[in-house]
Amino acid sequence: MKERLHRSEVWLRMVVLGWLVLLAPGLLAAAEPGSEAEAWLARLGPSLNMTTYRGVFVYTRGDQVSSMRVAHRYRDGVVEERLVQQDGEGGEIVRKGMRVVCVLPRHGRIQLEQVMPAGPFAEAFANQLVTTSNWYQPELLGEGRVAGYGAKVIALRAVDRHRYSYHFWLELQTGLLVKSHVRDSDGHVLESFQFTDLEITDSLPDSEFEVQTTGAEMSQKLSSPSKSVTVNRMHGWTLGWQPDGFQPAAAPRSGNGQAIAFSDGLAAFSVFVEPVGELDMPTGVSRIGATTAYMRKLQAGDRMFLVTVIGEIPPETAMRVANSVDIEDAMAFRSQTQ
Amino acid sequence: MDDRLKETLSAMLDDQADELSVRRVLSHSEQQEVRSQWQRWHQLRGLLQDGQSALERIDISQQVRQSLSGAEPVLAPSSPDLEPRSPTNWHWPAIAMVLTGLVIGFGMGTGWEVRQDREAVLASEIVPVQAEIAQAPTAGAVPEVALQGLDEQQLEHLSRYLLEHAQHNSVGAGRGAVGYARLASVSTAAY
Repeated sequence: MKERLHRSEVWLRMVVLGWLVLLAPGLLAAAEPGSEAEAWLARLGPSLNMTTYRGVFVYTRGDQVSSMRVAHRYRDGVVEERLVQQDGEGGEIVRKGMRVVCVLPRHGRIQLEQVMPAGPFAEAFANQLVTTSNWYQPELLGEGRVAGYGAKVIALRAVDRHRYSYHFWLELQTGLLVKSHVRDSDGHVLESFQFTDLEITDSLPDSEFEVQTTGAEMSQKLSSPSKSVTVNRMHGWTLGWQPDGFQPAAAPRSGNGQAIAFSDGLAAFSVFVEPVGELDMPTGVSRIGATTAYMRKLQAGDRMFLVTVIGEIPPETAMRVANSVDIEDAMAFRSQTQ
Repeated sequence: MDDRLKETLSAMLDDQADELSVRRVLSHSEQQEVRSQWQRWHQLRGLLQDGQSALERIDISQQVRQSLSGAEPVLAPSSPDLEPRSPTNWHWPAIAMVLTGLVIGFGMGTGWEVRQDREAVLASEIVPVQAEIAQAPTAGAVPEVALQGLDEQQLEHLSRYLLEHAQHNSVGAGRGAVGYARLASVSTAAY
Protein backbone atom coordinates (compact mmCIF):
# COMPACT_ATOMS: atom_id res chain seq x y z
CA MET A 1 0.00 0.00 0.00
CA LYS A 2 2.77 2.35 1.03
CA GLU A 3 4.72 1.45 -2.07
CA ARG A 4 1.67 2.20 -4.28
CA LEU A 5 1.25 5.54 -2.51
CA HIS A 6 4.86 6.32 -3.01
CA ARG A 7 4.59 5.54 -6.72
CA SER A 8 1.57 7.78 -7.10
CA GLU A 9 3.42 10.61 -5.38
CA VAL A 10 6.32 10.18 -7.74
CA TRP A 11 3.97 10.25 -10.72
CA LEU A 12 2.23 13.32 -9.40
CA ARG A 13 5.51 15.08 -8.94
CA MET A 14 6.62 14.14 -12.45
CA VAL A 15 3.38 15.41 -13.94
CA VAL A 16 3.67 18.68 -12.07
CA LEU A 17 7.30 18.98 -13.07
CA GLY A 18 6.40 18.27 -16.68
CA TRP A 19 3.76 20.98 -16.69
CA LEU A 20 6.19 23.40 -15.18
CA VAL A 21 8.70 22.64 -17.92
CA LEU A 22 6.04 23.09 -20.57
CA LEU A 23 4.71 26.28 -19.07
CA ALA A 24 8.07 27.77 -18.16
CA PRO A 25 8.52 29.93 -21.26
CA GLY A 26 5.08 31.36 -20.85
CA LEU A 27 5.57 31.95 -17.15
CA LEU A 28 8.89 33.64 -17.77
CA ALA A 29 7.33 35.83 -20.40
CA ALA A 30 4.60 36.77 -18.00
CA ALA A 31 7.17 37.52 -15.35
CA GLU A 32 9.08 39.72 -17.76
CA PRO A 33 6.60 41.85 -19.64
CA GLY A 34 9.41 43.48 -21.57
CA SER A 35 10.61 40.24 -23.09
CA GLU A 36 7.59 39.89 -25.36
CA ALA A 37 8.05 43.49 -26.39
CA GLU A 38 11.69 42.75 -27.20
CA ALA A 39 10.65 39.75 -29.27
CA TRP A 40 8.37 42.02 -31.28
CA LEU A 41 11.08 44.61 -31.68
CA ALA A 42 13.41 41.95 -33.06
CA ARG A 43 10.95 41.55 -35.93
CA LEU A 44 10.98 45.24 -36.72
CA GLY A 45 14.14 45.33 -38.81
CA PRO A 46 13.61 42.24 -40.99
CA SER A 47 9.94 43.05 -41.55
CA LEU A 48 10.85 46.42 -43.07
CA ASN A 49 12.56 44.67 -45.95
CA MET A 50 10.89 41.29 -46.20
CA THR A 51 7.26 42.35 -46.24
CA THR A 52 5.47 43.15 -49.46
CA TYR A 53 2.98 45.97 -49.12
CA ARG A 54 1.63 49.16 -50.59
CA GLY A 55 -0.17 52.08 -49.06
CA VAL A 56 -0.13 55.71 -48.04
CA PHE A 57 1.40 57.03 -44.87
CA VAL A 58 1.22 60.38 -43.15
CA TYR A 59 4.24 61.88 -41.48
CA THR A 60 3.95 64.71 -38.98
CA ARG A 61 6.76 66.68 -37.41
CA GLY A 62 6.08 69.91 -35.62
CA ASP A 63 3.43 71.66 -37.63
CA GLN A 64 4.40 69.97 -40.88
CA VAL A 65 2.26 67.22 -42.28
CA SER A 66 3.22 65.29 -45.39
CA SER A 67 1.97 62.15 -47.00
CA MET A 68 3.59 59.59 -49.25
CA ARG A 69 2.49 56.65 -51.30
CA VAL A 70 4.73 53.65 -50.95
CA ALA A 71 4.98 50.29 -52.66
CA HIS A 72 7.42 47.74 -51.32
CA ARG A 73 8.16 44.29 -52.67
CA TYR A 74 10.47 41.55 -51.54
CA ARG A 75 11.01 38.95 -54.23
CA ASP A 76 13.85 36.53 -54.82
CA GLY A 77 15.90 38.25 -52.17
CA VAL A 78 15.65 41.64 -53.87
CA VAL A 79 13.95 44.63 -52.33
CA GLU A 80 12.07 46.96 -54.63
CA GLU A 81 10.49 50.11 -53.39
CA ARG A 82 8.83 53.19 -54.78
CA LEU A 83 7.87 56.24 -52.78
CA VAL A 84 5.88 59.10 -54.22
CA GLN A 85 5.41 62.37 -52.41
CA GLN A 86 1.77 63.31 -52.33
CA ASP A 87 2.29 66.95 -51.39
CA GLY A 88 3.98 69.96 -52.87
CA GLU A 89 6.06 69.41 -55.93
CA GLY A 90 5.71 65.67 -55.80
CA GLY A 91 8.69 63.65 -56.83
CA GLU A 92 9.52 60.04 -56.32
CA ILE A 93 12.28 57.66 -55.40
CA VAL A 94 12.43 54.18 -56.84
CA ARG A 95 14.79 51.55 -55.61
CA LYS A 96 15.58 48.17 -57.01
CA GLY A 97 18.17 46.33 -54.98
CA MET A 98 21.13 48.65 -54.75
CA ARG A 99 20.02 50.88 -57.56
CA VAL A 100 18.10 54.03 -56.72
CA VAL A 101 16.41 56.45 -59.08
CA CYS A 102 15.34 59.80 -57.70
CA VAL A 103 13.09 62.11 -59.67
CA LEU A 104 12.29 65.57 -58.43
CA PRO A 105 10.35 67.65 -60.94
CA ARG A 106 11.38 71.22 -61.57
CA HIS A 107 13.41 71.82 -58.43
CA GLY A 108 17.05 71.26 -58.95
CA ARG A 109 18.02 72.77 -55.65
CA ILE A 110 17.74 69.63 -53.62
CA GLN A 111 21.22 68.25 -53.46
CA LEU A 112 20.76 64.90 -55.02
CA GLU A 113 24.33 63.86 -54.69
CA GLN A 114 23.90 64.07 -50.94
CA VAL A 115 20.71 62.16 -50.93
CA MET A 116 21.87 59.41 -53.12
CA PRO A 117 25.13 57.91 -51.84
CA ALA A 118 23.73 56.24 -48.79
CA GLY A 119 20.14 56.38 -49.85
CA PRO A 120 17.12 56.23 -47.66
CA PHE A 121 16.77 52.48 -47.76
CA ALA A 122 20.24 51.16 -47.19
CA GLU A 123 20.63 47.67 -45.92
CA ALA A 124 22.44 48.70 -42.78
CA PHE A 125 19.40 49.30 -40.68
CA ALA A 126 17.19 46.62 -42.10
CA ASN A 127 19.63 43.93 -41.14
CA GLN A 128 20.36 45.15 -37.67
CA LEU A 129 18.32 44.37 -34.63
CA VAL A 130 17.27 47.17 -32.42
CA THR A 131 19.86 47.02 -29.68
CA THR A 132 18.16 49.29 -27.27
CA SER A 133 17.69 47.33 -24.09
CA ASN A 134 20.19 49.34 -22.08
CA TRP A 135 18.77 52.73 -22.97
CA TYR A 136 15.10 52.08 -23.47
CA GLN A 137 12.71 50.14 -21.30
CA PRO A 138 10.47 48.08 -23.57
CA GLU A 139 6.88 47.52 -22.61
CA LEU A 140 4.01 45.84 -24.35
CA LEU A 141 1.10 48.23 -24.09
CA GLY A 142 -1.49 46.06 -25.79
CA GLU A 143 -3.06 45.89 -29.20
CA GLY A 144 -4.41 48.52 -31.51
CA ARG A 145 -5.60 48.89 -35.06
CA VAL A 146 -3.95 50.90 -37.81
CA ALA A 147 -5.13 51.22 -41.41
CA GLY A 148 -7.35 48.20 -40.97
CA TYR A 149 -4.67 45.95 -39.50
CA GLY A 150 -4.33 44.77 -35.94
CA ALA A 151 -1.10 45.84 -34.33
CA LYS A 152 0.91 45.27 -31.18
CA VAL A 153 1.69 48.50 -29.39
CA ILE A 154 5.19 48.62 -27.95
CA ALA A 155 6.55 51.40 -25.79
CA LEU A 156 10.24 52.09 -25.53
CA ARG A 157 10.77 54.41 -22.62
CA ALA A 158 14.05 56.26 -22.44
CA VAL A 159 15.94 55.45 -19.27
CA ASP A 160 17.48 58.93 -19.09
CA ARG A 161 16.71 62.44 -20.25
CA HIS A 162 19.27 62.42 -23.04
CA ARG A 163 16.89 60.79 -25.51
CA TYR A 164 13.24 60.61 -26.43
CA SER A 165 10.82 57.74 -25.94
CA TYR A 166 8.98 55.84 -28.64
CA HIS A 167 5.75 54.06 -29.29
CA PHE A 168 5.64 51.52 -32.09
CA TRP A 169 2.66 49.82 -33.67
CA LEU A 170 3.73 46.55 -35.31
CA GLU A 171 1.34 44.66 -37.54
CA LEU A 172 0.33 41.37 -35.92
CA GLN A 173 1.21 38.95 -38.71
CA THR A 174 4.30 40.48 -40.26
CA GLY A 175 5.71 42.80 -37.59
CA LEU A 176 5.65 45.65 -40.10
CA LEU A 177 5.89 49.09 -38.53
CA VAL A 178 2.56 50.71 -39.30
CA LYS A 179 2.64 53.61 -36.87
CA SER A 180 5.16 55.28 -34.60
CA HIS A 181 5.41 58.13 -32.14
CA VAL A 182 8.40 59.97 -30.81
CA ARG A 183 7.58 61.41 -27.40
CA ASP A 184 9.29 63.71 -24.98
CA SER A 185 9.61 63.06 -21.27
CA ASP A 186 6.22 64.65 -20.65
CA GLY A 187 4.54 62.30 -23.08
CA HIS A 188 3.98 64.90 -25.79
CA VAL A 189 4.08 63.46 -29.29
CA LEU A 190 6.80 65.28 -31.21
CA GLU A 191 6.77 63.24 -34.39
CA SER A 192 4.38 60.69 -35.78
CA PHE A 193 4.26 58.32 -38.69
CA GLN A 194 1.20 56.35 -39.62
CA PHE A 195 -0.19 54.38 -42.49
CA THR A 196 -3.65 55.60 -43.41
CA ASP A 197 -4.05 53.10 -46.21
CA LEU A 198 -2.25 49.79 -46.27
CA GLU A 199 -2.40 46.52 -48.15
CA ILE A 200 -0.05 43.76 -47.10
CA THR A 201 0.07 41.23 -49.87
CA ASP A 202 2.14 38.43 -51.34
CA SER A 203 3.03 40.11 -54.60
CA LEU A 204 2.84 43.38 -56.45
CA PRO A 205 3.02 43.88 -60.23
CA ASP A 206 6.15 45.30 -61.85
CA SER A 207 4.20 48.37 -62.91
CA GLU A 208 4.10 49.51 -59.29
CA PHE A 209 7.84 50.08 -59.37
CA GLU A 210 8.27 52.05 -62.55
CA VAL A 211 9.28 55.70 -62.47
CA GLN A 212 6.30 57.71 -63.61
CA THR A 213 7.20 61.29 -62.79
CA THR A 214 8.93 63.29 -65.47
CA GLY A 215 11.76 65.58 -64.55
CA ALA A 216 15.44 65.68 -63.87
CA GLU A 217 16.51 62.17 -63.09
CA MET A 218 19.52 60.98 -61.27
CA SER A 219 20.49 57.49 -60.33
CA GLN A 220 23.27 56.06 -58.30
CA LYS A 221 24.11 52.83 -56.61
CA LEU A 222 23.76 52.70 -52.88
CA SER A 223 27.08 52.83 -51.14
CA SER A 224 28.15 49.76 -49.27
CA PRO A 225 27.04 49.86 -45.65
CA SER A 226 30.36 48.41 -44.53
CA LYS A 227 32.10 51.48 -45.89
CA SER A 228 29.69 54.10 -44.70
CA VAL A 229 29.04 52.82 -41.20
CA THR A 230 32.62 53.00 -40.08
CA VAL A 231 33.38 56.39 -41.55
CA ASN A 232 34.35 58.70 -38.74
CA ARG A 233 35.59 62.04 -39.89
CA MET A 234 36.82 63.90 -36.86
CA HIS A 235 40.21 65.35 -37.70
CA GLY A 236 41.41 68.36 -35.80
CA TRP A 237 38.56 68.41 -33.30
CA THR A 238 37.30 66.31 -30.44
CA LEU A 239 33.96 65.56 -28.91
CA GLY A 240 34.18 65.68 -25.14
CA TRP A 241 30.79 64.24 -24.34
CA GLN A 242 28.07 62.14 -25.85
CA PRO A 243 25.14 60.43 -24.13
CA ASP A 244 25.76 56.86 -23.03
CA GLY A 245 24.81 54.30 -25.60
CA PHE A 246 25.40 56.42 -28.68
CA GLN A 247 27.92 54.77 -30.96
CA PRO A 248 29.56 56.14 -34.10
CA ALA A 249 27.36 55.41 -37.07
CA ALA A 250 27.26 56.19 -40.76
CA ALA A 251 28.73 59.66 -41.13
CA PRO A 252 26.91 62.24 -43.17
CA ARG A 253 28.91 63.98 -45.82
CA SER A 254 29.45 67.55 -44.92
CA GLY A 255 30.24 69.61 -47.96
CA ASN A 256 32.91 71.88 -46.54
CA GLY A 257 33.84 70.56 -43.16
CA GLN A 258 33.77 67.51 -41.00
CA ALA A 259 30.95 65.51 -39.58
CA ILE A 260 30.35 62.57 -37.36
CA ALA A 261 27.18 60.76 -36.50
CA PHE A 262 26.06 58.70 -33.54
CA SER A 263 23.17 56.37 -32.97
CA ASP A 264 21.85 54.40 -30.04
CA GLY A 265 19.88 52.10 -32.32
CA LEU A 266 16.82 54.30 -32.42
CA ALA A 267 17.83 57.92 -32.11
CA ALA A 268 20.67 59.52 -34.00
CA PHE A 269 22.48 62.79 -34.02
CA SER A 270 25.06 64.30 -36.32
CA VAL A 271 27.80 66.73 -35.37
CA PHE A 272 29.05 69.13 -38.03
CA VAL A 273 32.16 71.23 -37.54
CA GLU A 274 32.93 73.68 -40.27
CA PRO A 275 34.81 76.95 -40.76
CA VAL A 276 32.23 79.71 -40.79
CA GLY A 277 33.79 81.81 -43.53
CA GLU A 278 31.52 84.64 -44.59
CA LEU A 279 28.42 83.00 -43.29
CA ASP A 280 27.09 84.43 -40.05
CA MET A 281 25.00 81.78 -38.39
CA PRO A 282 23.18 82.58 -35.17
CA THR A 283 23.62 80.65 -31.96
CA GLY A 284 20.78 78.74 -30.39
CA VAL A 285 18.40 75.88 -30.59
CA SER A 286 15.72 75.26 -33.19
CA ARG A 287 13.33 72.36 -33.22
CA ILE A 288 10.99 70.77 -35.64
CA GLY A 289 9.08 67.90 -34.19
CA ALA A 290 11.57 65.54 -32.66
CA THR A 291 14.51 66.97 -34.57
CA THR A 292 16.74 69.45 -32.79
CA ALA A 293 19.35 71.69 -34.36
CA TYR A 294 21.77 73.43 -32.06
CA MET A 295 24.31 75.83 -33.49
CA ARG A 296 27.20 77.58 -31.82
CA LYS A 297 30.29 79.38 -32.92
CA LEU A 298 33.70 78.37 -31.74
CA GLN A 299 36.89 80.30 -32.19
CA ALA A 300 40.16 78.49 -32.73
CA GLY A 301 43.16 80.73 -33.25
CA ASP A 302 42.10 83.39 -35.66
CA ARG A 303 39.39 81.29 -37.25
CA MET A 304 35.76 80.95 -36.39
CA PHE A 305 34.04 77.60 -36.68
CA LEU A 306 30.41 76.66 -36.66
CA VAL A 307 29.47 73.65 -34.56
CA THR A 308 26.07 72.22 -35.36
CA VAL A 309 24.40 69.27 -33.71
CA ILE A 310 21.31 67.91 -35.41
CA GLY A 311 19.38 64.93 -34.21
CA GLU A 312 16.29 63.38 -32.76
CA ILE A 313 17.42 64.26 -29.26
CA PRO A 314 16.27 66.79 -26.67
CA PRO A 315 17.64 70.33 -27.02
CA GLU A 316 19.56 70.03 -23.76
CA THR A 317 21.37 66.97 -25.08
CA ALA A 318 22.22 68.68 -28.35
CA MET A 319 23.54 71.72 -26.55
CA ARG A 320 25.70 69.66 -24.24
CA VAL A 321 27.15 67.72 -27.15
CA ALA A 322 27.85 70.91 -29.10
CA ASN A 323 29.46 72.58 -26.10
CA SER A 324 31.81 69.63 -25.69
CA VAL A 325 33.34 70.13 -29.13
CA ASP A 326 36.88 71.40 -29.02
CA ILE A 327 39.03 72.41 -31.97
CA GLU A 328 42.50 71.01 -31.57
CA ASP A 329 43.97 71.75 -34.95
CA ALA A 330 42.36 74.39 -37.10
CA MET A 331 44.82 73.60 -39.85
CA ALA A 332 43.31 70.17 -40.26
CA PHE A 333 40.25 71.88 -41.70
CA ARG A 334 42.26 74.09 -43.97
CA SER A 335 44.07 71.18 -45.52
CA GLN A 336 40.83 69.34 -46.09
CA THR A 337 38.73 72.16 -47.37
CA GLN A 338 41.26 73.60 -49.76
CA MET B 1 24.33 93.73 -9.65
CA ASP B 2 26.38 92.99 -12.71
CA ASP B 3 26.78 95.31 -15.66
CA ARG B 4 24.81 93.13 -18.00
CA LEU B 5 21.80 93.25 -15.75
CA LYS B 6 22.12 97.01 -15.52
CA GLU B 7 22.26 97.21 -19.28
CA THR B 8 19.11 95.19 -19.49
CA LEU B 9 17.36 97.42 -16.98
CA SER B 10 18.47 100.41 -18.95
CA ALA B 11 17.10 98.87 -22.10
CA MET B 12 13.83 98.19 -20.32
CA LEU B 13 13.62 101.84 -19.39
CA ASP B 14 13.89 102.70 -23.05
CA ASP B 15 11.44 100.03 -24.13
CA GLN B 16 14.28 98.35 -25.97
CA ALA B 17 14.62 95.15 -23.98
CA ASP B 18 13.66 91.91 -25.60
CA GLU B 19 11.75 89.11 -23.98
CA LEU B 20 14.77 87.10 -23.03
CA SER B 21 16.34 90.00 -21.24
CA VAL B 22 13.14 90.58 -19.36
CA ARG B 23 13.06 86.96 -18.37
CA ARG B 24 16.58 87.21 -17.05
CA VAL B 25 15.72 90.22 -14.96
CA LEU B 26 12.65 88.56 -13.57
CA SER B 27 14.55 85.44 -12.67
CA HIS B 28 17.39 87.31 -11.00
CA SER B 29 17.92 86.16 -7.46
CA GLU B 30 18.14 89.65 -5.96
CA GLN B 31 14.72 90.96 -6.85
CA GLN B 32 14.76 93.65 -4.20
CA GLU B 33 18.01 95.03 -5.52
CA VAL B 34 16.67 94.98 -9.06
CA ARG B 35 13.50 96.73 -7.97
CA SER B 36 15.46 99.40 -6.10
CA GLN B 37 17.68 100.05 -9.09
CA TRP B 38 14.65 100.25 -11.33
CA GLN B 39 12.95 102.76 -9.10
CA ARG B 40 16.08 104.90 -8.73
CA TRP B 41 16.55 105.14 -12.44
CA HIS B 42 12.94 105.95 -12.94
CA GLN B 43 13.15 108.74 -10.42
CA LEU B 44 16.18 110.11 -12.21
CA ARG B 45 14.51 109.94 -15.54
CA GLY B 46 11.39 111.51 -14.12
CA LEU B 47 13.40 114.42 -12.78
CA LEU B 48 15.23 114.88 -16.04
CA GLN B 49 12.03 114.78 -18.00
CA ASP B 50 8.91 116.25 -16.55
CA GLY B 51 8.29 115.69 -12.92
CA GLN B 52 7.77 112.38 -11.24
CA SER B 53 6.95 109.28 -13.16
CA ALA B 54 4.02 107.27 -12.04
CA LEU B 55 5.82 104.09 -12.96
CA GLU B 56 8.51 104.33 -10.38
CA ARG B 57 6.45 102.77 -7.63
CA ILE B 58 4.76 100.22 -9.74
CA ASP B 59 5.77 96.61 -9.57
CA ILE B 60 4.48 94.89 -12.64
CA SER B 61 7.04 92.13 -12.56
CA GLN B 62 4.43 89.59 -11.56
CA GLN B 63 2.18 90.39 -14.48
CA VAL B 64 5.04 90.32 -16.92
CA ARG B 65 6.26 87.06 -15.53
CA GLN B 66 2.82 85.57 -15.97
CA SER B 67 2.50 86.96 -19.45
CA LEU B 68 5.79 85.46 -20.45
CA SER B 69 4.79 82.10 -19.09
CA GLY B 70 1.52 82.22 -21.00
CA ALA B 71 -0.73 82.46 -17.94
CA GLU B 72 -3.43 85.02 -17.48
CA PRO B 73 -2.19 87.92 -15.40
CA VAL B 74 -3.77 87.92 -12.00
CA LEU B 75 -3.96 91.28 -10.34
CA ALA B 76 -4.19 91.60 -6.63
CA PRO B 77 -6.81 94.31 -6.12
CA SER B 78 -5.76 94.98 -2.59
CA SER B 79 -2.21 95.74 -3.54
CA PRO B 80 -1.76 99.30 -4.76
CA ASP B 81 1.66 98.39 -6.13
CA LEU B 82 0.08 96.11 -8.64
CA GLU B 83 -2.23 98.71 -10.07
CA PRO B 84 -0.45 100.91 -12.54
CA ARG B 85 -1.89 104.38 -12.60
CA SER B 86 -1.14 105.01 -16.20
CA PRO B 87 -1.05 101.67 -17.95
CA THR B 88 -1.57 103.23 -21.33
CA ASN B 89 1.89 104.73 -21.13
CA TRP B 90 3.47 101.39 -20.74
CA HIS B 91 4.47 99.62 -23.92
CA TRP B 92 6.11 96.48 -22.89
CA PRO B 93 7.79 95.01 -25.94
CA ALA B 94 8.02 91.56 -24.54
CA ILE B 95 4.28 91.31 -23.98
CA ALA B 96 3.65 92.39 -27.52
CA MET B 97 6.08 89.83 -28.76
CA VAL B 98 4.50 87.15 -26.67
CA LEU B 99 1.08 87.97 -28.02
CA THR B 100 2.43 88.15 -31.54
CA GLY B 101 4.13 84.85 -31.05
CA LEU B 102 0.96 83.26 -29.80
CA VAL B 103 -0.99 84.55 -32.77
CA ILE B 104 1.55 83.68 -35.38
CA GLY B 105 2.61 80.43 -33.86
CA PHE B 106 5.95 79.30 -35.07
CA GLY B 107 8.04 81.98 -36.57
CA MET B 108 9.33 80.67 -39.80
CA GLY B 109 7.64 79.47 -42.90
CA THR B 110 9.59 76.29 -42.71
CA GLY B 111 7.76 75.31 -39.57
CA TRP B 112 10.73 75.55 -37.32
CA GLU B 113 9.99 76.31 -33.76
CA VAL B 114 12.57 78.65 -32.40
CA ARG B 115 13.53 78.63 -28.79
CA GLN B 116 16.37 79.27 -26.51
CA ASP B 117 17.70 76.90 -23.96
CA ARG B 118 15.44 75.86 -21.16
CA GLU B 119 18.15 76.34 -18.65
CA ALA B 120 18.49 79.91 -19.75
CA VAL B 121 14.91 80.95 -19.47
CA LEU B 122 13.33 78.35 -17.27
CA ALA B 123 10.49 78.15 -19.69
CA SER B 124 9.00 75.18 -21.42
CA GLU B 125 7.79 76.87 -24.56
CA ILE B 126 9.50 79.75 -26.24
CA VAL B 127 7.99 82.09 -28.72
CA PRO B 128 9.99 83.74 -31.47
CA VAL B 129 11.79 86.84 -30.40
CA GLN B 130 13.55 89.35 -32.51
CA ALA B 131 17.16 89.21 -31.56
CA GLU B 132 20.31 89.26 -33.55
CA ILE B 133 22.96 88.81 -30.92
CA ALA B 134 25.30 85.98 -31.75
CA GLN B 135 27.12 84.93 -28.65
CA ALA B 136 29.00 81.69 -28.41
CA PRO B 137 28.12 79.73 -25.33
CA THR B 138 30.81 78.87 -22.90
CA ALA B 139 30.98 76.09 -20.39
CA GLY B 140 28.50 76.70 -17.63
CA ALA B 141 26.89 79.62 -19.39
CA VAL B 142 23.87 79.52 -21.59
CA PRO B 143 23.19 81.26 -24.86
CA GLU B 144 20.89 84.19 -24.47
CA VAL B 145 19.70 84.36 -28.00
CA ALA B 146 16.47 83.21 -29.49
CA LEU B 147 16.34 83.01 -33.22
CA GLN B 148 13.69 84.80 -35.13
CA GLY B 149 14.46 83.57 -38.56
CA LEU B 150 17.20 82.76 -40.94
CA ASP B 151 17.95 84.49 -44.19
CA GLU B 152 18.10 82.48 -47.37
CA GLN B 153 21.78 81.74 -47.10
CA GLN B 154 21.54 80.65 -43.48
CA LEU B 155 18.50 78.55 -44.21
CA GLU B 156 20.24 76.84 -47.07
CA HIS B 157 23.21 76.10 -44.87
CA LEU B 158 21.09 74.60 -42.13
CA SER B 159 19.00 72.72 -44.66
CA ARG B 160 22.10 71.08 -46.02
CA TYR B 161 22.94 69.84 -42.56
CA LEU B 162 19.39 68.66 -42.01
CA LEU B 163 19.43 66.82 -45.28
CA GLU B 164 22.71 65.15 -44.50
CA HIS B 165 21.52 64.17 -41.07
CA ALA B 166 18.25 62.85 -42.45
CA GLN B 167 20.18 60.84 -44.99
CA HIS B 168 22.33 59.38 -42.28
CA ASN B 169 19.37 58.84 -40.04
CA SER B 170 17.60 56.83 -42.66
CA VAL B 171 20.61 54.58 -42.87
CA GLY B 172 21.79 54.23 -39.32
CA ALA B 173 18.74 54.55 -37.18
CA GLY B 174 15.77 55.20 -39.39
CA ARG B 175 12.81 52.97 -39.63
CA GLY B 176 12.41 52.48 -43.33
CA ALA B 177 9.86 54.91 -44.62
CA VAL B 178 10.17 57.07 -41.50
CA GLY B 179 13.73 57.87 -42.43
CA TYR B 180 12.72 58.81 -45.91
CA ALA B 181 9.81 60.85 -44.62
CA ARG B 182 12.20 62.87 -42.52
CA LEU B 183 14.44 63.41 -45.48
CA ALA B 184 11.64 64.42 -47.79
CA SER B 185 10.19 66.63 -45.10
CA VAL B 186 13.44 68.54 -44.89
CA SER B 187 13.60 68.90 -48.64
CA THR B 188 10.06 70.09 -48.90
CA ALA B 189 10.36 72.49 -46.01
CA ALA B 190 13.62 73.99 -47.01
CA TYR B 191 12.81 74.63 -50.58
